Amino acid sequence: MNAESAWILPALPFAAFVILGLASLTGWDRRLPDRGSWLAVIAIAAGLVLFVPVTIDVLANGPQDYVFPWFAAGQTQLSLGLLVDPLTIVMLGLVTFVATCVAVYSTGYMHGEPRYAWYFAALSLFVASMLGLLLADNLLQLYICWELVGVCSYLLVGFYHERRSAAEAAKKAFITTRIGDVGMLIGILLLFQATGTFHIGDILAKVANGGLEPNLMTATALLLFLGAMGKSAQFPLHVWLPDAMEGPTPVSALIHAATMVAAGVYLVARMFPLFEAAPGALAVVTAIGAITTILGAGIALVMTDIKKVIAYSTISKLGFMMLTLGVSGYTAAIFYLVTHGFFKALLFLSAGSVIHGAGSQEAGELGGLRRHMPLTAWVFGIATLALAGIPPLSGFWSKDEAMLALSHATLPVYAISLVSVVLSSLYGGRLWLLTFTGAPRSHHAEHAHESPPVMTLPMLALAVMSVVSGFVALPAVGRAIGLPGGLGEFLYPPGGHPAPYHFDPAVAGISTFLAVAGLAIAAGFYLWRVWSSERLAAALRGLHQALARKLYLDDAYQAIIDYGALAMGKAIASFDRVFINDVGINGPGWLAVAAGGWLKLTQTGKVANYALGMIAGLLITAAAILTFFV
Amino acid sequence: MIPLEHVLIVAAALFSLGLYTVLARRHAVLVLMGIELMLNAVNINFVAFAGYADPDNFTGQIFAIFVIVVAVAEVGLALAIILRLFRLRATANLDEANSMRW
Amino acid sequence: MTGIDLAFYVLAGFSIAGGLGLAVTRSVVHGALFLILALMGVGGVFFTLLADFLALVQVLLYAGGVTILMLFAMMLTQVREQPEATNNPQRPWAALASLAFFGAVTATIVVTPWPRNLPEGAQHVEFVDIAGTLFTRWAVPFEIASLLLLVALIGAIIVAREATE
Repeated sequence: MNAESAWILPALPFAAFVILGLASLTGWDRRLPDRGSWLAVIAIAAGLVLFVPVTIDVLANGPQDYVFPWFAAGQTQLSLGLLVDPLTIVMLGLVTFVATCVAVYSTGYMHGEPRYAWYFAALSLFVASMLGLLLADNLLQLYICWELVGVCSYLLVGFYHERRSAAEAAKKAFITTRIGDVGMLIGILLLFQATGTFHIGDILAKVANGGLEPNLMTATALLLFLGAMGKSAQFPLHVWLPDAMEGPTPVSALIHAATMVAAGVYLVARMFPLFEAAPGALAVVTAIGAITTILGAGIALVMTDIKKVIAYSTISKLGFMMLTLGVSGYTAAIFYLVTHGFFKALLFLSAGSVIHGAGSQEAGELGGLRRHMPLTAWVFGIATLALAGIPPLSGFWSKDEAMLALSHATLPVYAISLVSVVLSSLYGGRLWLLTFTGAPRSHHAEHAHESPPVMTLPMLALAVMSVVSGFVALPAVGRAIGLPGGLGEFLYPPGGHPAPYHFDPAVAGISTFLAVAGLAIAAGFYLWRVWSSERLAAALRGLHQALARKLYLDDAYQAIIDYGALAMGKAIASFDRVFINDVGINGPGWLAVAAGGWLKLTQTGKVANYALGMIAGLLITAAAILTFFV
Repeated sequence: MIPLEHVLIVAAALFSLGLYTVLARRHAVLVLMGIELMLNAVNINFVAFAGYADPDNFTGQIFAIFVIVVAVAEVGLALAIILRLFRLRATANLDEANSMRW
Repeated sequence: MTGIDLAFYVLAGFSIAGGLGLAVTRSVVHGALFLILALMGVGGVFFTLLADFLALVQVLLYAGGVTILMLFAMMLTQVREQPEATNNPQRPWAALASLAFFGAVTATIVVTPWPRNLPEGAQHVEFVDIAGTLFTRWAVPFEIASLLLLVALIGAIIVAREATE
């Protein structure tokens, strides 16, 4: 099996989606053993299995691009294509692995849900679209899959659509990302207009040859980044991601932590030469990434809902990836994306396990769960340490690569990244300590129980990856698994050069020190209780309030919608009512009725009047004929 | 000899008088009489043209005969209708027979 | 001016006088009498215009038949002889329309060139000729006319009949 068969990867989950979707629509899913979830699990796990030969083929024969003609419109040939290169391989590994873990986990977590089969159908469609997105070799195909994952996100966030908040959250996620997607579509079409092709390789080749206007490149890069901002929840389009936590927790792990939200980062990485050719756009990426990472981390500090904490952490980390990309840390950003995918998915699955076991996701109702859920506490801890970037966990290696790239950037950028390091270990430590240590703060937490193996096993698998996946940066490990060397020698931007592994003790030392310091501060507040978080919050009341209210961004958007969009809508509606309806539609009707009212007065019912009318008509006609025709 | 114009003007005068009777009167029988007058005015025209323009075939006279036939038929029917109206409304006033209004 | 011409103008004057009377009289019965006058005048005019048969028919049928029928109808419908019962409010307009009509037609007659006189050798039409033409050339219209009379007769009977249901 070679890389050309990679189309099977998305095809299998898609088939599972069709079967399960039809089954759940017709109600046949009740006759399937375990309501058919095994179909989805097998289809998704098959992706993980098939990923291996595809990787081997690429390692042996280099990147491959298969183009199939799709249809021709006039002079324009449109084609479908499979692009399998190192970036695709790395992303495929992440997606297939996390998806398999989440699918298995879901069979336990979602057990007993009424729309069990539908859940797995949507999950399969998501995996299929996500894999299709990664394998796309042209922007059109990528955009189609991009929208498909958006639809799946919508379906799964709104899975509990009986709950108003879930339906609202799904709507919000869909509409907010759509704002970015419109920009992205315009960007794609501009690129098509300029280059005459959707094919990514051809476009990037034209970019490399300097065949494009600099202004056009900046504009299209920014427009594409707008799409990435929506999908990757970058400020100011990040507001949908925390609300998306209304979906089932495994969905949060797969879509809103590990894969779909990373698609924005992936898109920027995929089009990286375009961004590099447009320094202005790259500066915007840096700025947005910096704002997002600090903003997300800051809000994560004060959230009390454990899923919201992780969600804001995800926003922060996605911002961090964008920041890294902005300073041309291509390999580092993708590396961080992958390790983040593992440990963030683990965090979500562990949080799901907590919710499953303790029945609550409010930090105020948890606490002391370490005794009841030792395994969950352990893997949650591993994920937290990886998030903080403590060696030798995966987060350390990837963060170190990123910090290395950032240390070459300007000082403010580096400083911001260091602040985000402190903040992420601080909120990570806070989250773990609040959840698993201290005394249980509710009846539920006292009677928590460990989750079943079907849930803990995927968590363990992800924990292993969270620990070891970072080592791939080391040349020895890389060679052992068949890479030409460290990750930097396998994955580098188009037109770039393999980067051998480089370790800067100063950079690693500073960031590790800061990460440990963050954890220590968290422990000082929440474990040893030498400081009081309440007193600090009281002292910094303004800041705490602002963070707790998510920096008023949701309120601001709501206000814009209320006063801007709704006011405009009301104005248009009144125009519609008064002008279109009253004048345009009722007007002729009223006129007809009124005219009938006046004209009926001529209908006296008296024959003499009619006869007089006849004679008058005769005379007038005769007069007209005599005047005009004689 | 009588100029044709004079004959025609007499016919027109009779027709106009009949017309006025039809338009200005509300009694059904008077209206009917007006109609008869108009028909006779028309007959004068037919006969005049038959004499002045077509003396050999006198088709106008034949036509006048048919007009008379139709007029007689009409009078018969109209009087029947008037009788009926009178029975129904106790009046021969056409202005009161106005149920075909809004 | 020959005697025939004089007779025409006199008879035409009678006719118009009858028409005027019919138009202005307040009494329906007087109206019927004025109508008889007008119709007799018309019959005379027919005679002066060489239509002997029509003149005879006119006198027999109208003056004798139709008008009597109308008088019958008046008796049956017990007419009250009041102006408001015989004239309706649109009388001024009716006068205007009639005058306008008369004016228009007269103007047309005056401006159109006509043969001034009866053709040379024009004769009174003989009854025999009329009968011959009616029963040969106009046989089909004649039969249709008789059918029309039959239908009108039956219709009049049905319409005027007392409702007995």
